[in-house]
Amino acid sequence: MSKIISVHSFRGGTGKSNTTANIAALLAMDGARVGVVDTDIASPGIHVLFNLDEADMAYSLNDYLWGKCTIEQAAQDVTGHVGGEIKGQIFLIPSSIKAGEIARILREGYDVGLLNDGFRDVIEKLKLDYLLIDTHPGLNEETLLSIAISNALVIIMRPDQQDYQGTAVTVDVAKKLDVPKMLMLINKTPTSLDFDDVRSRVEQIYNAKVGAVLPHSDEMMTLASSGIFSIRFPDHIVTKGLRSLVDQLKS
Amino acid sequence: MSETNFERTVSELQNRKEDIRPSDVILFSEPLRSALNYVIRLGRFSLTEFSEKLGFTREQARKVTELLIQRNLIVVSRFSTTDETYYESRLSALTRPLSRPSLDIWKKID
Repeated sequence: MSKIISVHSFRGGTGKSNTTANIAALLAMDGARVGVVDTDIASPGIHVLFNLDEADMAYSLNDYLWGKCTIEQAAQDVTGHVGGEIKGQIFLIPSSIKAGEIARILREGYDVGLLNDGFRDVIEKLKLDYLLIDTHPGLNEETLLSIAISNALVIIMRPDQQDYQGTAVTVDVAKKLDVPKMLMLINKTPTSLDFDDVRSRVEQIYNAKVGAVLPHSDEMMTLASSGIFSIRFPDHIVTKGLRSLVDQLKS
Repeated sequence: MSETNFERTVSELQNRKEDIRPSDVILFSEPLRSALNYVIRLGRFSLTEFSEKLGFTREQARKVTELLIQRNLIVVSRFSTTDETYYESRLSALTRPLSRPSLDIWKKID
């Protein structure tokens, strides 16, 4: 049975899109057919990680929501864009990066039901094993929809006071929406901290399982979203942490 | 016990004047909230599954599904048979344009 996995963070800049892209790549390396939807309509960005140019986007999620195309027409096969040995396949449904189209959808809104239908259609039509939803930071109807229909939720946070408070809200909502599997990912952790201590404190505060504690990485910063980290640095400690997270999501 | 839950469920749904949004689901009382979370995640579900999840009789559950259809949360599936009714969840509601004042999602969550 296909799994829908939402990747969310309360605040921006936590590494949400990067993590989503890496989870997709690691799942596809194991042979899975993976779809990735960029529902961060207000500030799309995950297409950069998959080296998808605006010119290559025949259709976007916006077009689907406006009835200009089917959801599978908006799905671009980006398997060949990521490099590495991918046994499966990766499809990206990007959000439009045209300013006018972003403004229009923010101004007019759209039918949540269409998004919901689209998720289910694309799973069926592309025979996906996993659908990853890269959500908008914070809480709005779209993120709540994503959480409501997901089989698993990854909540990303940094060890930062601003993140701590906001993440509590997200965890609370996720619990009210009965997400079957919820994993916390603590990202960009300063290496001076005791990772085991960070993990146990977060698990205690939120009463939720921590899937991985990832260190701040200069290599990640230097890569600057120009590719998929786990493919470029397969033996890096960050990749090992992401691999562990993926194994927990698969189990 | 079950009757009280049923009456509360019907009342909550009848009091809604708009389509049901994801943020509304977290507001509903039990057993409606858990049952909706369950069927929304399933996508397609039967009346039997829904009535079991609610702990209501089939007739009571059917009444609830009628209200959910009115609020555009679910539709009757084309896979329905004479023996069993199937539904599909949709969560059909327009998201709020950001330029308009928000109905305040936070009030719902607090």
